[in-house]
Parts: sequence; structure tokens; C-alpha cells
Amino acid sequence: MGFSELLSTYGEKYLQGLLATWSMTAVSFVFVMVLAVLVTVARVSPYRPLRVVGDLYVQVFRNIPGVALLIIIAYALPELRIVLDWRTCVIVTTILLGSAFGSENFMSGINTIGVGQIEAARSLGLSFTQIIGKIVIPQALRTTVLPMTNLLIAVMLTTALGSQVPLNPQELTGVVSYINTRETGGILTFLISALCYVGTAFLISFAGNRLDKRVRILR
Amino acid sequence: MSAPRSALSIRDALYEAPGPRTRRRVLIGTVITGALVLLGITAVVRQFYVTGQLAPRYWSLFLQWTTWRFLGQGLLGTISVALAAGAIALVLGLLLMLGRTSGVRPLSALCRVVTDFFRGVPSLLLIYFFFFVPAQLGLKMPSFWMLTLPVALAASGVLAEVFRAGVNAVPKGQVEAALSIGLSPAKTMRRIVLPQAVRYVIPSLIAQLVVVVKDTTVAYVVSFPDLMQNARVLITSYDALVSMYLVIAVIYILINFAINKAALYVSRKTGAKIIR
Repeated sequence: MGFSELLSTYGEKYLQGLLATWSMTAVSFVFVMVLAVLVTVARVSPYRPLRVVGDLYVQVFRNIPGVALLIIIAYALPELRIVLDWRTCVIVTTILLGSAFGSENFMSGINTIGVGQIEAARSLGLSFTQIIGKIVIPQALRTTVLPMTNLLIAVMLTTALGSQVPLNPQELTGVVSYINTRETGGILTFLISALCYVGTAFLISFAGNRLDKRVRILR
Repeated sequence: MSAPRSALSIRDALYEAPGPRTRRRVLIGTVITGALVLLGITAVVRQFYVTGQLAPRYWSLFLQWTTWRFLGQGLLGTISVALAAGAIALVLGLLLMLGRTSGVRPLSALCRVVTDFFRGVPSLLLIYFFFFVPAQLGLKMPSFWMLTLPVALAASGVLAEVFRAGVNAVPKGQVEAALSIGLSPAKTMRRIVLPQAVRYVIPSLIAQLVVVVKDTTVAYVVSFPDLMQNARVLITSYDALVSMYLVIAVIYILINFAINKAALYVSRKTGAKIIR
């Protein structure tokens, strides 16, 4: 199948796929960030039960394979009378996986600050909330720009899990498998989706690098 | 990657030694959050109970030896794919890194493009590629390789970057010294840089094995009998979907947790950081 024939037959599907991948990535990443902050707050809170739950959350979702989690959410939860539509299943899976890694990024961002700074802040008479708000969070955010750009790319790649459930519209990986089950698509069908992914990843890391150069703290 | 030991110290550094009033407040907070967590657990268990998922017929299959033997066979499949893919990725990643740092312009550009390509493409897309394309070209490929090759390619891109970070961690002065005493660039790489770089990245290589194990989970796409695929077979014959998937998830989590811990252990022993 030639390039022009492929585009005239399936061009629209690819475009929908790209948009579906982008929109699922964007929605997921917003919630990933929110949840990652919440989990991190739980992990540094003075309450032991919260710390334990936060640590457990990270260990579970860092180590579970994405497909296993998606299958549980899509096929096991309905048996427990929790039914989500397919798109939500994929997004929830991506959010759970991504937020665990996001919280790890925040934790190592906090770890780079150094005990001395916190001691200094305290001896100046800053309160706990002031220390968190004025010393810890600004620095943790600035040092995590690059890891978070990588996380955004990882979130995009995770949305490829959408090919494992009947999405409508399908995302980029699902489109390719759809085309190839119908006809002999060949290498080109894969290359188009692959270039969409790689191109998006390139744009993300370009933007991330520029942002990082502007806000990075040089030590 | 955060080393738990230092994480604890910074966690605790955030708080000053509590006075009696703070201590009481923390205690109250602990009790309240503890109660909330318990409430959450009860809600989950209750949901399992009211939907009948705690019924013995869903769990009794785990008392049978045959269940575990079949899952064990699947686990062997998972391990063999993961090790084979890991070994191939190791070689490919090293080659890609050597090509990229070779200083030969076209080769280095090519290796860079290949590395970025495999890092920027989801492994599922690669698996579908090896599932469809060889068959379309009339090649018969065993399902083992339809799974192992894409997983290996996906990992090789990341490993190339890990190796490159290891090479960059070797002090520049050593390379300059080696060149100035007359070693060729190739020999400098082989005798001076690589031995140190490889030692430096060992914990990161172990940690990457987690990604490889995760990627093998989609073996059912090419119907290769790995842990997940065998679990699906058991589900159709026992009709125990929820319990089986939960048990499988726990097994995967424990395997990956152990690999991560091993990476951390080696990293702490050698003082080399884990690069992701």
C-alpha cells in the first residue's frame, strides 16, 4: 500500500488517533501532577498512617505492569460494580502509574534541598508552613522540571495501552493495529504513528529543556 | 530515584523536636488518619463481600498444586523473555552508545536517531510491528521472538543513554592522559573508559530490568505463554477473574520490587547512582 493511498484511506483515522493520544496525555498529566503532589504531601506528613499509605501507593504503582493495571481496572472492577467507560479506564491507569513516578520525582527534588537549608530557615524563625511554601516547594519544583518532562513523555507512551481496549476514537497505536488487522498495511503504517510519537516527544523535551535552562538552580 | 535512608532524614528534618502540644496534635492526627485508612480498607473489603468476590469458589483454585504449576510455567516464560531481551538490549545499547560517541559524524548521527526513536515509541507499537509485519512479508517468526525482539529494541534505546551517562561519568582527565601516553582512541575506550563506565552503570542496568519485565506482560498479543497469558487461560477455565488478576498483579509487583531493591542494594554498595 502506497503512502498516498494510505493517507487517503486512513489519514483521518491517524489524525483522530494523534488527537486522542494528545488529549489523553494532557488530561492524564494534569491529574498525575495533582495526585503526585497529594501523595508526596502524605509521604512527608507527620502522620504515620499517611506516610505508610503514600509509600505503599508508590511501590505498588511503580512496580505493576501497565497492562495488568489496565486489565484490572477495565475487566475486574466491573465485577465489583465499578464500571468506567473505556477511555476513562485508560486515563485512570495512566494517572495511577504516572503519579507514583511523579511523587518519586518530587521526593528526590525535596532531597536535593539539604538539611542545612531547613535548619537555617528554622533558626531564622520561619514556621513549618513558611518553610514548606517558601523554601522547599519552590526549589523542589525547579529541580524537577527535567524529570517531569521525561514523565510527560512516559505518560504519552503509556496511553498506548488504549490499544488494548475498544476505544473510540482509537489512539495512535490502536489505529495501526486496526489497519493491520484489516489489510496488509506494511512498515509504513507503523512509521506514521511512530513519527507522531517521536515528534511529540521531541517537542516536549525541547520545551522542557528551555524551561529547565530558565529555572534551574545551579549548584 | 531517592535513596530511602536520606529520604527519611530530610522528611524528619522538616519538623523540629515537638513540644507537648504538637505531640498531642500529631497523635490526634495519627489516630484520625489511621481511622480513615482503616475505613478505606473496610470499604474495599465490603465491596468485595457484597459483590460475592470473597466466595471460596473464586479463591479455592489457589489451594491447588496444578494452578501454581501452570502459573510457574508462565513465570518461566516471562523470565526467559526478560533475560533474552535484556541480554540483546545490553549488546544493542552498548553498540548504539559506542556509535554515538565514536566521533564519526554520519555514524554518530544515525545512532542518535535510532536511540531517540526507540526511546520515543511505545513498546506496544513495536510489539504490534513484530506481530504483523514479518507475517505480511511471509516470514514465520516464533512467538518468543515476536515478543523478545520488540522488548529488546525498546530497552536498547534507554540502555544506550544509560551507558552514555556512565561514559560521561569517567573523568575527562583520564581520557586525556590515556591519549597523551599514546593509546589510540579505540584502545582508550576499551581499556580505560568502558571498564569504569560499565561498573558505574550496573545498578541502573538492574533497575532497567523492571521496565523489561513490565513490557513482557503484553505477551498475549502474540500469544506467548508468559505469566499473564497463562493467568488468562486459567481465568477462562475457572471463571475466577478478579482473584486471578489480583494475584498476578501482586506477583508482578513483588518481582519488580525485588529487582528495584537489588538495584538499590548494589547502588549503595558501590556508591553509583541509578540513572533512569
